[in-house]
Amino acid sequence: MSFPNTAARQAGRRQLRPQPRLENWRTWFVLSSLLLLFAILLGRGIYLQGFNEEFLKEQGDQRYTRNLKMEALRGMITDRNGELLAQSTTVQSIWASPRSIYLLPKGQERPHDWRQKNDEEQVPVSLTEIHKLSSQLGVSDAELLKKLFDERVNSKGEAQKRPDFVWLKRQLSPEDAKKVMALNIPGIYSQTEYRRFYPAGEQLAHVIGFTDIDGKGQEGFELTRDKTLAGKAGSRTVIRDRRGYIVEDISTIVPPLDGQTLQLSIDRRIQYLAFRELNSMVERSHAVGGAIVVLDSRTGEVLALANAPSYNPNSRTRIDPAHRRNRAVTDLYEPGSTMKAITAAMALDAGKVKPTTVINTDGGRMTIGPATIRDDHPGGSMTIEQIMQKSSNVGAAKMALMMDREAMHTFLKNMGFGEKLNTGFPGEAAGRLRPWKDWRPIEQATMAYGYGASVSVMQMARAYQVFASDGELRPITFTKLVAPMPGRQVIKPETAQAVRKMLEMVTLPGGTATRAQVIGYRVGGKTGTAKKLVNGVYSDTARVGSFVGIAPISNPRIVVAVMIDEPAFEMRYGGLVAAPVFSNVVAGTLRILGVPPDSPTENILLPPPGAPEILEET
Amino acid sequence: MKQIFYQAMKRLKPTMSAYDPALLWCVLLLLSIGLVMVYSASIAMAEVDKDTGFKATYFLTRHSMFLVVGLAAGMFGFSIATRHWQDYAPMLFLFGILLLVLVLIPGVGREVNGSRRWLSLAVINLQPSELMKFFVVLYAADYAVRKAHSMTGKFIDSITKVLLPMGLVMALVGALLLLEPDMGAFVVITAIAMGLLFIGGYNWQLFAGLVVLLGGAFAALIMSSEYRRARVLGFMNPWEDPFGKGYQLSHSLIAFGRGEWTGVGLGASVEKLSYLPEAHTDFLMAIIAEEFGFVGVTVVVLLFTFLVFRAFRIGLQAAKLERHWQALAAQGIGIWIGVQSIINIGVNMGLLPTKGLTLPLLSFGGSGIVANLLALGVLLRIDYENRQMIKGYSL
Repeated sequence: MSFPNTAARQAGRRQLRPQPRLENWRTWFVLSSLLLLFAILLGRGIYLQGFNEEFLKEQGDQRYTRNLKMEALRGMITDRNGELLAQSTTVQSIWASPRSIYLLPKGQERPHDWRQKNDEEQVPVSLTEIHKLSSQLGVSDAELLKKLFDERVNSKGEAQKRPDFVWLKRQLSPEDAKKVMALNIPGIYSQTEYRRFYPAGEQLAHVIGFTDIDGKGQEGFELTRDKTLAGKAGSRTVIRDRRGYIVEDISTIVPPLDGQTLQLSIDRRIQYLAFRELNSMVERSHAVGGAIVVLDSRTGEVLALANAPSYNPNSRTRIDPAHRRNRAVTDLYEPGSTMKAITAAMALDAGKVKPTTVINTDGGRMTIGPATIRDDHPGGSMTIEQIMQKSSNVGAAKMALMMDREAMHTFLKNMGFGEKLNTGFPGEAAGRLRPWKDWRPIEQATMAYGYGASVSVMQMARAYQVFASDGELRPITFTKLVAPMPGRQVIKPETAQAVRKMLEMVTLPGGTATRAQVIGYRVGGKTGTAKKLVNGVYSDTARVGSFVGIAPISNPRIVVAVMIDEPAFEMRYGGLVAAPVFSNVVAGTLRILGVPPDSPTENILLPPPGAPEILEET
Repeated sequence: MKQIFYQAMKRLKPTMSAYDPALLWCVLLLLSIGLVMVYSASIAMAEVDKDTGFKATYFLTRHSMFLVVGLAAGMFGFSIATRHWQDYAPMLFLFGILLLVLVLIPGVGREVNGSRRWLSLAVINLQPSELMKFFVVLYAADYAVRKAHSMTGKFIDSITKVLLPMGLVMALVGALLLLEPDMGAFVVITAIAMGLLFIGGYNWQLFAGLVVLLGGAFAALIMSSEYRRARVLGFMNPWEDPFGKGYQLSHSLIAFGRGEWTGVGLGASVEKLSYLPEAHTDFLMAIIAEEFGFVGVTVVVLLFTFLVFRAFRIGLQAAKLERHWQALAAQGIGIWIGVQSIINIGVNMGLLPTKGLTLPLLSFGGSGIVANLLALGVLLRIDYENRQMIKGYSL
């Protein structure tokens, strides 16, 4: 390259100029200044990266690390055969961060090239977007606008910051949630949640209970076994980029421990049967409510437990607290005559009487102090078996009075009254058994036919289970057992057998519960028709009709206790209102369990036509 | 036999290289680090940006192209005899001022983020202020040489004939730059001009007085108003408003902290995941610090230190050879690279207020790379000519 003319001219000019005197110290001064500044940079680097790094990393963590909870899948609940009773499924909940958005005036849209300058800047949202969102969520525009943009005022009247988090719609199906998220509206997010589904619905509502919207057990086994069902949530600490995507895990992931499956002793088929029969009877008899328990007498397992009225645990609408009561376990009632079998067993076991011992019922009247005990079907002298069959109050009272107060108390305790069953059920009732020292003779006498002591249906069923299993009292369990739990011999086997025979006679012609009979099986049981205590006074109209029985009698397999609360007056008798339920449930259950018939079929021994039905009043 | 021995001896005798290989390698190393780090810092951001067409390699390919153009510019700078640069210095300087005027004309200059710094030329965007830094080096060196007599002469001459004209010219350039606004370029250009006046032999007592006077006036100006103090010194505590004004700086500092001594490893930076704005340009150092830790910071700082040191050594050598303009030009280039890298790294480390200056040779940016490499080409040429003279060749 050459610049012929200019170069020559300028070169000439250069020669003429006085030359500068470049002093080296000036160069060194500037150079050292620069080197000093470089050294300062290195010093600052050492400070930032070697000494201040804790603080800086902490600041960084605050900005982009998040501790994520990894929800554990709630355990299933199944029946004894593995049928699903409760299961958690994945759903999506839509939430919003109102603080991060603001509403554009009507008719204005967010420009397509709109960009967020920093994290703090609010994103504009247009009314059309809100409208799309509300129609997709199925709520009104006004409601949505209120949730998102309403200025909140605290107690002092100062405007508060809008919240950072608000649920818009919970538990949407994944498909619906996808549609909502596809609208791509800023500040709207979705979160995976679990929703509990109960295939058995209201049939088993009282046993299983339900969870609240956050997955916490609220009732039943969902509550009592919440810990094992819920499992343990896992956690992971992650770094997220500014758009919220997870970039990496910075600590070891603690995986969630899914909840364990809970296998109940309930048999869904028997449960269905029990629920259906109970419900139809409660409806038919216009009763306030009812409860039924089906026990496996050999193991103490609960095969079915139903209450009426029930509720649908799948529905999130408000549930009437009265419907939530598990009457069979938590409610107490005065059992009435069903108690007589226990009284008889007590007298027999103590050797005070034999099944054939004759007791004079004094024409169905007995006076103790100012009180008089009456029989509905007065008779003269009756054997213990007949007392049971005809449900004589006087006979039962006389048997009780043969016993020492303390011995009677101990016996009732042994039979499981007055103490909790410890089935692990929430709100389980212990029943009321007053200290024997306070007992007056009339109280001891009325207790013999089921007044003055309160029990739960479950306790009653358990006491009858003693007769079914030759005198062994077993713990009641709602979970499926591999082997029966050891029981406790509380009465002699002979006593149990004798009581069983009496119970069978109750269902035979001449007894109070012929309607309890089952085709093909010999069954036994005892009716109860107890006056209800209303405001401390025994009501004239309100009754509790019940029946507790065993089947089959020859080789007992199940115990069924039925209680109908306040049936219509004409249906008040246990033999009318509870015994048919027993019959239907036993028939179905024994077939389901494959129990061989122990009696010829087509052999129902109904009273001869025209004969008056024997109905007891206690 | 004797002939063969002579030949062997000749080969063994260390001969001086025709150019400065250490300086060349230093520059190439910095460019390589820059290329890798620009890609690393931009990859996540480019991937999600509509403007880049969601291409992760968007900035990598651009930067590579800039490097090719820049290396060509460097070779161009090297291939021209330095006296031509000196001869054309005033004209180039005028040309630079013209460009700075052009960039301010609406429709000609392109505005990005509120600054009017770019000229759109068919395919590429030119940033005149980057070129102006180079032209100022050439011009200030020439000016100091031309005014050598007046500088050391009478006191009144050193003011009226040296300081005043230079001051006026610099005020014009400064005004043009501040109109863009490009505060960073203004600071660098002022540093070059003043540095070269000082090295050129300007009365040091007067110079020192001037520095004290200007510095004092500036300090008084800042301290006199709460508002100005907050504006200028606000950078000192980014944690006061870490999500607003201190956002960028606090994230830059976090990147340094996360890097610790040895860094989180190449590609593992979190700050570049859209947290730290301008990670591939002004705040590239923060990403280097995060991914390579203090080790990485030290390597980059030492490479710059070496580069600056080398430029001054070349300047000293040129001065010894009575090549005054070349001596000053070489040191001017050293001041330029040195001051700009110090300010950039200082900003990244929270030592200086944010200026909008890139890290020379490393940051993404076409004009900057091209201007830097052009200047370094000239520096290598000065060194080449020094060596030729030492070997006894005439130029």
